[in-house]
Amino acid sequence: MTLRFTIIGISVGAASLAAIGAFAQENSGLAEWEKVYAVFSHPRCANCHVEDESPRWSGPHYGATRVHGFAIGRGEDGFGNPGQRCTTCHFETNSPKLHGPPGAPHWHLAPAEMVWFEKSSAEICAQIKDPARNGGRTLEEIAVHVRDDALVGWGWSPGPGREPAPGSAQETYEALVAWADAGAPCPGE
Amino acid sequence: MQITINGNVRELDVDPEMPLLWALRDVAGVLGPKFGCGIAACGACTVFIDGQPVRSCVMPVGQVSGAVTTIEGLGEPDALHPVQQAWIDEQVPQCGYCQAGQIMSAVALLAEIPNPTDEDIDKAMSGNLCRCGTYPRIRAAVKRAARSMGEA
Amino acid sequence: MSRLGTITRRTLLVGAAVVAGGAAFGYYSYRRPYENPLEADEGEAVFNPFVKIGADNSITVIAPRAEMGQGVSTTLAALVAEELDVELGAVRVEHGPTSWAYYNAGAMEESVPFAFYNDSAVAQFVRDSIGVVGRIAGVQSTGGSATIRDGYVRMRKAGAAARIMLTAAAAKRLGVPADEIGSANGILTHEVSRRSLTYGEVALDAASEEAPDDPPLRDRSQWRLLGKSQKRVDMMDKVTGAPIFGIDMRQPDMLFGTVRMSPRLGAKPVRSDVTKAEAVPGVVKVVPLDTSYGGGFGVIAENSWAAFRAADAIDVEWGDASYPSDSETIDRMLRDRLDEGGGSAFRDDGDIEGSFADAPADQVVAAEYSYPFLAHACMEPMNATARRKDGKLELWAPCQMPTITRWLCSGVAGIDQTDVTLTVTSMGGGFGRRLESDFAIYATLLAMEADGRPVNVTWTREADTRHGPFRPAARGRFRARLGDDGLPVAVDMDIAAPSVTRSFVHRGLPWVPMVMPDKITVDGAWDQPYTIPSYRVSALDADLGIPVASWRSVGASGNGFFHECFLDEIAAAGGVDPIELRRRLMADYPTAVGVVDKVAEMSGWGEQLPMGKAKGVAFTLAFGGWVAEVVQVADTPDGIRIEKVWAAADIGLALDPGIVEAQIVSGVIYGLSAAMGQEITFADGMVVQSNFHDFDAMRMHQCPEFEVAILENSPKMGGVGEIGTPPAAPALANAIFALTGKRLRDLPLSREVKFA
Repeated sequence: MTLRFTIIGISVGAASLAAIGAFAQENSGLAEWEKVYAVFSHPRCANCHVEDESPRWSGPHYGATRVHGFAIGRGEDGFGNPGQRCTTCHFETNSPKLHGPPGAPHWHLAPAEMVWFEKSSAEICAQIKDPARNGGRTLEEIAVHVRDDALVGWGWSPGPGREPAPGSAQETYEALVAWADAGAPCPGE
Repeated sequence: MQITINGNVRELDVDPEMPLLWALRDVAGVLGPKFGCGIAACGACTVFIDGQPVRSCVMPVGQVSGAVTTIEGLGEPDALHPVQQAWIDEQVPQCGYCQAGQIMSAVALLAEIPNPTDEDIDKAMSGNLCRCGTYPRIRAAVKRAARSMGEA
Repeated sequence: MSRLGTITRRTLLVGAAVVAGGAAFGYYSYRRPYENPLEADEGEAVFNPFVKIGADNSITVIAPRAEMGQGVSTTLAALVAEELDVELGAVRVEHGPTSWAYYNAGAMEESVPFAFYNDSAVAQFVRDSIGVVGRIAGVQSTGGSATIRDGYVRMRKAGAAARIMLTAAAAKRLGVPADEIGSANGILTHEVSRRSLTYGEVALDAASEEAPDDPPLRDRSQWRLLGKSQKRVDMMDKVTGAPIFGIDMRQPDMLFGTVRMSPRLGAKPVRSDVTKAEAVPGVVKVVPLDTSYGGGFGVIAENSWAAFRAADAIDVEWGDASYPSDSETIDRMLRDRLDEGGGSAFRDDGDIEGSFADAPADQVVAAEYSYPFLAHACMEPMNATARRKDGKLELWAPCQMPTITRWLCSGVAGIDQTDVTLTVTSMGGGFGRRLESDFAIYATLLAMEADGRPVNVTWTREADTRHGPFRPAARGRFRARLGDDGLPVAVDMDIAAPSVTRSFVHRGLPWVPMVMPDKITVDGAWDQPYTIPSYRVSALDADLGIPVASWRSVGASGNGFFHECFLDEIAAAGGVDPIELRRRLMADYPTAVGVVDKVAEMSGWGEQLPMGKAKGVAFTLAFGGWVAEVVQVADTPDGIRIEKVWAAADIGLALDPGIVEAQIVSGVIYGLSAAMGQEITFADGMVVQSNFHDFDAMRMHQCPEFEVAILENSPKMGGVGEIGTPPAAPALANAIFALTGKRLRDLPLSREVKFA
């Protein structure tokens, strides 16, 4: 992806010096976005940013990515269904057991409109910038949320047997800020 | 540490990382919740904390923030909970090992949805594994309990 | 019918055992030949090994079979209560002590090399004789779906004998003839003088009355309890979380434990360091274990969690596996075994080689099938509790074969059997897994190191899933020749699998020589009531070295899939409806046709279904139960959904229809669970699967609707606990073929399709 945008940048950017500056900024913005996208599209994040009712399971011990077992559903509040709430199994901390349930405060599904699972970089980028689909947040607020929220932070310390999201909460915060400063460019489809 | 179990305040000398299930079974002597998987994948260990269902095999006892209710706290032979009575009326259990957990999940479901649909039952009960295959009778018993609790 | 020629050698072997065992076969003594293992408490009379009555009118029935969910404690008690003239609710049911007196003749009977429907004199002779061998060997087992068949006469006679003795005692007390005294609801009444006595009032006298040798039994038309659904005796315990299971055993001063055995089955540690394990708070001791089930470690601790943590903390390098280390190699060995040929034909009707010699290619159907290793995955993980103190060993265990388990534990403890007691607890599932003794042996070995304190030894789910012994994997190569009418004129089935019997014998009963080909390898395929002019079913023993065991319905659990899916292929190739094919091939067996007709009628077979839905059928005769099942599947966006199952089962006599229905449904769900997604695979000599996330079973949201019909046309009583399982997988696979046109020949079906 990065390579493709770079080529576009060069071919179009030859038009004028001012344009070169703008494109350079967009290029660096897109590069920052790709760091963010690598995190958001990672299973540790995307498995619970779904548009349907079911969180997903994935990882070396689970075969191909599949819907969460036990007919677990979103429920009315995103915290599961009566009888099987998210917090029936997911507590404040990760189970130390391999294949045990991961844990973090307020374990729940992201609202359906904040869908990342199986979405392209462009689609997620558009969603993040759309206040109607990002919880009415500014980009600054999103960056802080990613840096400080305990449930988001779980993605980088997901417990035994799970691959963490790339980078760290701080690095992703910095990438979001840099991306926003660069005009929050989104990749083309 | 102090934990309220079925209305009784108990002082337990345990590592806060110990799963609640083992604190109940091996320390407090409360044997209704069963050990099945240790990873919250079978539901046999289900208890309530402040009325909400919890898989006790993975909950660190140090994180227990409310009153614990087990199957023993739900009803007793001479004063059964309507869900337990429905389980007898439908002759649900076979080996019986999973049934304490099944009953706890059913009670949690009926507390929120007094007249559950088949889909509601699926969504509430699919975390409770039964290797004897008592599901059809469990489904019937949940509906019977819903009717009897509605009349009460 | 099987040719007698092929089984002559085995018949002779069995015959020899009969001579050694004595000649008194065919008669089920309820009180001989073993000493009565029951002792009377104060104010209590023991009538026989099955009935105790107290002066306080308490009635205790000993149900000497393990309750693992199949409802036997209820039906065994009802058999006694029926003849004893009391209500079921008036009876307390106990499992009773471990004793040779409680042998299971029924299970041994069906282990003979004759099909269930074979009533020839030779078959009956061998069957009766095996019953005697079972009694001589004194195997108290719960298995073979045989509990009720075994107890049907014996338990009723025990009840009738007690009633006759009570009546005799009352007659003496009242000074009237015994035949003037009637009994009902635990009261003996002399109608003429309007005097009555309770059972309790005469119990102590009655116990010294002579026990009748062969008390007459009530006619079926007089039954009050039998044949009707009873309230099960164990419901209250099971809805209140009562501590009835092995894992619930608690004794004063008890310790807890677990084991960490080699994940390469049977191997031993080559290097280990237990320092970290011993440092886990609460750990008492780490004990090396070396047993016939393999090597490893046991941990004794103050609680189960500490034991689990310490077991994890053992730093160990395991020896190599003595078997092929990955599933690909294992499967290739099964293939190689089929290539090699030379199996033992358990059935060889007509002229197989001749039938295929001149067969035109377009009339031949050929296919290769497989099924995988399976774990039992009982809800209650393996466990046992043991105490060795003052030269005695006490055991409490959920086990299906207590006399054998006690004998083996006595051996490892070096304590005479007379000083070993084994109390059988309720079981959180058995399914054949608890015919083994490993869990009790480990508990015994840990108790030896516990300074006289009892130790409750519980396995983790991971240990339970990974150590087997497993239902064997198998591979089958089949061919059929079609006649002009589309029906098969020849069917030839080769099945390669490891021998369950050899593996079991090797682990537990090393003094029994393994001299015959293993019938289990072809059970469910060789013994089906189809008449096909040339019909051969051969077992090819593939000794893989992986421990294998009985798994609900044993050989039929997988061979039903082989046989019934291949028949479905034959039906499709011949253009014959699968129900019609079975009606015609089983025309000689009206009981079989009866269940096929019934299931066709119930399921509306042949009616047009909406797009995206389809049905499949399968039939299996196993453990004396004739069972036909139809499965309906639907194509949904989330995958294939199993919508409904119809089952028609003929067991000759249903003593408790409610329990029978529950068992049929249970068996179907057990079979569908495996067919949908279960398999045990190997990598680096270790089992890959470990817990319910990768060895799951059917859940509530996947469970179909059920409709079950129980028929009683079979002239012989059949078993119940396992018979629902064998037709489930093939009926599902055949339904998926009908839905998708895709013929699935390998289990689990999830390798090819996704289930909703």
